[in-house]
Amino acid sequence: MRWFETPDFNFLKGHKIAYYVSGILLLASLVGILTKGLQYGIDFKGGKEFVLQFEQPVDVIDIRSELTEPLGGTPVVKLYGSPEEVLIRTDNPQDISEVQRLITNTMSEVYSDNPATVIKTDIVGARFAEDLKRGAINAIIFALIVIFIYILIRFKNWTYSAGAVAALFHDVLIVVGVFTFLADIVPFSLQIDQAIIAAFLTIVGYSLNDTVVVFDRIRENSLLYKTMDHDEMVNKSLNDTLSRTVITSVTTFFVVTILFIFGGEVLKGFSFALMLGVIIGTYSSLFVASSTVVEIQRYKEEKA
Amino acid sequence: MKGNGFKVGSIVAFLALTLYYLWPTVQHTLEQNYIEDLPEAERAEYVEENTQRLQELRQNSLSLGLDLQGGMHVTLEVGTAQFMKELAGDNLDEELEEVIDEAKQRALDNDTDFLQEMITLFEERNPDGRLSRYYRSDTENITRRSTNEEILTYLEQQRTSAVDRAMEIIRTRVDRYGVTEPAIFKQGNNRVVVELPGVSNKQRIRDLLKGTARLEFRLVGQPDQINNAQERVINYFDQQASADTSGVSQQGQSNPLLEVLNPRGRSGYTFGYSTGQDTARVNELLQRKEVQELMPRNIELMWGASPFTQTQQGQDLFELIAVRSEVELTGDVISEASVNFDQATNQPRVSMNMNAEGARRWARITGANIGKPIAIVLDGYVYSYPNVETKISNGRSSISGLESVQEAEDLVNILLSGALPAPLEIIEERTVGATLGEESIQAGFYSTLIGLIIVAFFMMVYYRTGGAIADLALILNIIFILGILAAFKATLTLPGIAGIVLTIGMAVDANVLIFDRIREEQRTGKTLRASIEGGYSNAMSAIMDANITTFFVGIILYSFGVGPIKGFAVTLMAGIVASLFSAIVITRVIVDYLTQDKSAEISFG
Repeated sequence: MRWFETPDFNFLKGHKIAYYVSGILLLASLVGILTKGLQYGIDFKGGKEFVLQFEQPVDVIDIRSELTEPLGGTPVVKLYGSPEEVLIRTDNPQDISEVQRLITNTMSEVYSDNPATVIKTDIVGARFAEDLKRGAINAIIFALIVIFIYILIRFKNWTYSAGAVAALFHDVLIVVGVFTFLADIVPFSLQIDQAIIAAFLTIVGYSLNDTVVVFDRIRENSLLYKTMDHDEMVNKSLNDTLSRTVITSVTTFFVVTILFIFGGEVLKGFSFALMLGVIIGTYSSLFVASSTVVEIQRYKEEKA
Repeated sequence: MKGNGFKVGSIVAFLALTLYYLWPTVQHTLEQNYIEDLPEAERAEYVEENTQRLQELRQNSLSLGLDLQGGMHVTLEVGTAQFMKELAGDNLDEELEEVIDEAKQRALDNDTDFLQEMITLFEERNPDGRLSRYYRSDTENITRRSTNEEILTYLEQQRTSAVDRAMEIIRTRVDRYGVTEPAIFKQGNNRVVVELPGVSNKQRIRDLLKGTARLEFRLVGQPDQINNAQERVINYFDQQASADTSGVSQQGQSNPLLEVLNPRGRSGYTFGYSTGQDTARVNELLQRKEVQELMPRNIELMWGASPFTQTQQGQDLFELIAVRSEVELTGDVISEASVNFDQATNQPRVSMNMNAEGARRWARITGANIGKPIAIVLDGYVYSYPNVETKISNGRSSISGLESVQEAEDLVNILLSGALPAPLEIIEERTVGATLGEESIQAGFYSTLIGLIIVAFFMMVYYRTGGAIADLALILNIIFILGILAAFKATLTLPGIAGIVLTIGMAVDANVLIFDRIREEQRTGKTLRASIEGGYSNAMSAIMDANITTFFVGIILYSFGVGPIKGFAVTLMAGIVASLFSAIVITRVIVDYLTQDKSAEISFG
């Protein structure tokens, strides 16, 4: 079987359209993030989460209203993967044990014929959350710096570094944007927590992987076809590696989709981020990274 | 096969190593299944006989993270600021208290070290001031002439040893409680992480970890003094209430304190009582600076540890007791403690014996206070304040007012493990129930299996023989990853399994690069063998670049992440190493073997 045996797409023409697509997506993401704010999970905000498993299906709205008074504020109550399991998130400042007692007592009073057990708790103090947030930010910044330097050393041209890092920014920002927009719409949690940061960095790694393969081919072709115009060379390299880019994206997309479907509730947000990341990462390797390189190169030539 | 001897050798060696490291895990799993199938009666006996062997197996097997086997992960922080106040002892004055409080805030805001901030602040406020005013130590040679630098070093030492002591004490407590294979380690300079597999009673563990076990014997305040203070405080809140209505004076505007505190008490020594859920609000009101100033200096208000009665609606009521600030005797004089029952009430209590020094002081205190109550305070809660009937000279005392035998047992445990040098606060806690863990394992297993089948099928269809070879490498790849994890004694977590699944998708990438390259070479009209040669060598630089960058991401994740995320990073890195090896070395050997004959044909789709 063969796909894209000898493709001859004009990617550079596509770049024009890609500018609009990326521009709109980035703008929308920025607007979403600025207006709604980042939807931090308790890892980065602090708070208390309890997952309760009931014997029979329960009504979330009902639980929310029952808990509002004892907890002294409206908790977030969501179904957690099945109609019998609920996630309760509260920022009640009292002692952990006290809050848990309030929840379990209320539940056993209200649903006396439908007993519940606490199957998962996550409690993060506000200060610890600050530390985690700082760690995550450092990790992302550090990753970008390391990648920039590595590509600089490998390709001996900062244009490529800039192209790669621009693509990475583009990918992560759009995924965050999608997360912000979908947070209240999808039936699973899309809050930004440690696992999501890990997913972001994986997206960074993955997207880069694609990008580097394209760059690698550009470098190789520029040695083979010394007289070829730079733009044409970039286009040829994209076509040369297209088959591989698509195949790897397909297999990776398979597995992250499987994780999303079968990996359980804990991994929902994480695998969703990866699904988005594979799609956007592939697109950005084909259009964003290379076009950034072309543009910078053109600018350099004009100046020269 | 010429020239591939080294490659074949390395594959065999790698496989052998992997199997060697994974063998205990396989055995352990088999043993576990065997034990589960045994009849109830024989089970204990079998475990008893093979304890040593089973333990060794478990220690050498691939361990599962708490999110997969269920359990509790707690991060505790040692309250350095509080500890520094206590270290100053009697030398503590308002000046130092202010410096410490402000340094605590600064360290929080700027993410800096508390001790550094403390010294800087102190020197800002007292340019020629010397911390030796507050801190002395004969053993560490800290005298009046010590410089602030020397004192900083000394305080840092003290902090380190406090955290180390806290760790030891927590270890003792956890061991006495009876947790199998707890992990307790230090994080940063003032945090302790405790991991307890298979623990279900969260409440008990929290109390066990947090309790500083500071046992104190204190006298209580004078009734008339308490009454006066109470009146002043209630008046203050009355004025607050009428001021709160923002100019609109209303009669009977409720007093915020009296809404949550009933000022009558069971005895002259109580400041009032509240329901359990109101205690936090009462604390909040009474901690206001203006209120603190209305209270006598030698009196502290403390809640009773357990409810003294219930309302008709079944709400627990707690007393607020006025105890004296001076501590007459502390728990470090306790030499023995045990649980027994009060004959009169049949309630559990903890009986304690004191050492000779303690007994002597206890006799003096009780002798001087016959007819008056002495409060028994533990970690800031009053357990009881019985009246002294006679002078007690045998060094015995007991703690009553306990809710259950379990609580009494835990109390004995922490009393005998020793008091923590500084208060501990739980700043992070994550628990996963055992059933949820099992579900996660299943989810992870199915995801891996289905992912493997789909990717393998796809590769076979797309690359024919080449795909089949890549699939074989992929399966070995997963075994290698597990082997690497076992060898490095890493823990398998759910994100770790996700990392393996992700690797399945990405591992074929190297082969895709190679096979695509081989097809390209073939298109230029080269022979099959020349194409293979060219394909492998030309794809190399792209493979290396792509994987090295991902490996960097793995390293960064590992250094910044905690817990499960570390697990993800480890599998990601192991996955890269394994997939490079299997894609480059293993497939190459197989491809070469299949194309030994000049006329051999293998298809790359």
